[in-house]
Amino acid sequence: MRRMIMLALSAALAAGCSRPPAKTPLILYSPHGKEMLAEFEQQFEASHPDVDVQWLDMGSQDVYDRLRTERDNPQADLWWGGPMTSFERAASEGLLERYIPSWDASVPQGEKSKDGFWYGTFLTPEVIMYNNRMVTGDDAPKDWDDLLAPQWRGRILIRYPLASGTMRIIFCAMIERANAATGDSLAGFRWLQRLDANTKTYVADPTQLYLRIAREEAPLSVWNMPDVEMQANKSYQPFSYVVPASGTPVITEGIAIVKGSLHAAQAKAFYEFVTSKQSMIQEANDFYRIPTRTDLPGSSLPAWMTARKWKAMNVDWRRLQANERSWMQYWDDHVKGSGISNTGAR
Amino acid sequence: MRAHRWGSWIPLVLLLIFYAGYVLYPVGVMTVESLRSEDGFSLSHYADILRGDSSGNLEAAVNSVYVSVLSVVLGGLVGGALAFCVTQLNFPFRRLVSLLAVVPVALPPLVGVIAFLFVFGESGILPRLLQAGTGIPSSRVALDGIPAIVAVHVYSFNTYFFLFVSAALRQTDGSLVDAAAGLGASPSRILRLVILPGLRPALLGASILTFMASMASFSAPLLFAGGHRFITLQIFTTKLNGDLPLAAALSLLLTVVSLVFFVTLQLVSGARITLRRTKGTGRAGILRVHPAVRAILIGLSALLITLEALPLVVIVIVSFAREGSWTWQLFPSAYTLENYTRLLGERQIFEPVLNSSLMGLIALAVVLLVGVAGALLVTKGTLRKGRILWDVVFTLPYAIPGTVLAIALILAFNHPTPFSGFRVLVGTFWILPLAYVLRTYPLMMRSTAAALEQLDDGILEAASSFGAGPWMRFRRIIIPLILPGLVAGGVLTLITLLGEFVSSVLLYTYASRPIAVEILAQLRAYNFGSAAAYCVFLMVLILLVVGTGQWILRRRSP
Repeated sequence: MRRMIMLALSAALAAGCSRPPAKTPLILYSPHGKEMLAEFEQQFEASHPDVDVQWLDMGSQDVYDRLRTERDNPQADLWWGGPMTSFERAASEGLLERYIPSWDASVPQGEKSKDGFWYGTFLTPEVIMYNNRMVTGDDAPKDWDDLLAPQWRGRILIRYPLASGTMRIIFCAMIERANAATGDSLAGFRWLQRLDANTKTYVADPTQLYLRIAREEAPLSVWNMPDVEMQANKSYQPFSYVVPASGTPVITEGIAIVKGSLHAAQAKAFYEFVTSKQSMIQEANDFYRIPTRTDLPGSSLPAWMTARKWKAMNVDWRRLQANERSWMQYWDDHVKGSGISNTGAR
Repeated sequence: MRAHRWGSWIPLVLLLIFYAGYVLYPVGVMTVESLRSEDGFSLSHYADILRGDSSGNLEAAVNSVYVSVLSVVLGGLVGGALAFCVTQLNFPFRRLVSLLAVVPVALPPLVGVIAFLFVFGESGILPRLLQAGTGIPSSRVALDGIPAIVAVHVYSFNTYFFLFVSAALRQTDGSLVDAAAGLGASPSRILRLVILPGLRPALLGASILTFMASMASFSAPLLFAGGHRFITLQIFTTKLNGDLPLAAALSLLLTVVSLVFFVTLQLVSGARITLRRTKGTGRAGILRVHPAVRAILIGLSALLITLEALPLVVIVIVSFAREGSWTWQLFPSAYTLENYTRLLGERQIFEPVLNSSLMGLIALAVVLLVGVAGALLVTKGTLRKGRILWDVVFTLPYAIPGTVLAIALILAFNHPTPFSGFRVLVGTFWILPLAYVLRTYPLMMRSTAAALEQLDDGILEAASSFGAGPWMRFRRIIIPLILPGLVAGGVLTLITLLGEFVSSVLLYTYASRPIAVEILAQLRAYNFGSAAAYCVFLMVLILLVVGTGQWILRRRSP
């Protein structure tokens, strides 16, 4: 028995120690998804053979939460992806390191941190997504308020918003919009309550969302444009989307170096690499990411991107960021399920 | 005997240091954190939780307790019925049933939940079959929300009842049953007056385990809760939303509820959380019942066992399904080996497998040390006098849910302490094995203590009078006699840890990312086929562990 355990242990230890030696690791937290991350990992390692890019794919709110948890012993070097509001908050909590990239001038003010803590990489419009086997383009809702119509009762699935940067922004933007229109600070929550009444259920993660919509448990959701494009084109899911007519929040997604990064030089190299003109063009064409850089030749981008057929909603990002946490807590405490429990789960 | 006395003090001191450093200290730090508020320290978070009108936390507590009680009752019925049929009736596929009945406990919670979704969810096989056959909309019959969570719990935890009750039934004295029958008692009277009283400890023990596991359950509420609230989810989202003190307060609330239940049952019943071992072979067909009743019971157990096997079958099917070929269809429309070849072709694909195995083995080594030392001290050593009290104290960590344990460890070890070798443990490899040890050593301690209890002190005294020292007695007498208990505990520990998800997801780093986290990453990337293929890997690994355990036992007892 003892001999067996010793044997097993030493074998395991040997296996643990015999990993390939001495490349500098570069640790990246990102919600951008396996395909894109793996692609740029390979490209970067091909040109930097001394670096081993290690990424963890997680939701952007998870990234922020992790950075805060690891504050006293930072593990990550780079944070790539997530709404600018999360980056702003992280910057104000001292979690990010200043870095001015070489392309600083080609990103407009407002799409980067004032003090150089983070820079915008992509613009992500939010959309109404639907299953095109269940709903035709003509019948699909055209604007945010259409989601509240009685015919969609129990036919909307929503990613549980607290863990999702995308959903937090959509919900907060809806609150902002309704409050601004009526001057009533509770109008936004009432709007969300009506949405809640039409919501069949909240799902735990994007996978559950795609799975349940693809499997026709409900036809509608709200989600971001690049991910819907990716699912429809790369995973052959029956998804289409509508850009809300009155305007949609367009999230600036950021990139930043983590404060206390142990491999800052490599992190900077990767930062520049994935935001170079060439990479941005590939990200646009292969992964449906709309670049913030304004110095890319229009001909190199997909036509739908340059046409920019979406109308950006006028969002007061500062106020949104200041209120995001308390609004989401209030929603979770008072709005979530208030409609569902009245109507039954289905 | 002087040396002996010193010899028993050293393990005691080490054990107490371990306990103080890795159980009391983190829980203490978490308690302090939960009292932190904007203006210094206060009870405001607890007041917030208990006030109830301003937040859903009270509703979450009620839901958690409600679901846990339901899980205990229904799990007891299912597991008990299966155990009854397998031990009391003789029928052809009895062995297969008793093998399949223990499978759910080996399935990692996350995998179980997803497999469950594919079988019983709204777009799952059974509801769709029913829809195709009868025209009843699948959403009407599908499991979702609270019923789905309870069903997942019953699916996973009825195994506890099955194991405990069938062991107890096998120990039921056949001569008592025969005597009662000879005196003219009817089968139902025998069941009520002879068999059931003997099952009380087993039922209580399994209830404790099921209740605590249900309270701590995270994966099932995460995927099925929808708009409903549960404490584990509230903790998770509160932490995500950035309110660590409130998350800590909620964690303590959850721990206290579990503890109260645990301690009450422990003290009232003296029930032990042990897998009772049987002597000799199981007695089958003790009870003579009417053939019709017998047929119904056998049919029932066949149905139950089919339902339990279905999720496993589905995982294997999905692992061969082509991506995107299973949306509106009843079954996947295209099959492929691609999921396996892609996994095998992916770089570093076996790293999570290696990580989980390595961390599991490291944890197992420590768990063996702590568990055996603790069990010896409690049953044969210095702590023998306060036996029940110490039992409760040392198995406390079992009542701490995985999420809570992870948060406590984060709070305790994100700055240097003597217990972490004056280093920051958060974000390193070592925090996960530590969490693994804390989650599983109570199981090992219990199963070892149970084995030690059956060890006759007279044998040790005899050895001692023949001049055998403490080490000799330990090595030559105690270890061989309790080996089955050790192996059972070890196998249970390893299979729990290989699929551990709840603590891991909060504590892992790139260098230590375990199998369950990798499965989650595959799911996030919407690679269902790959995730399922990974689950199949995990099940093979678990089978290997179980096989190794049996091999060790067989080699020892010719």
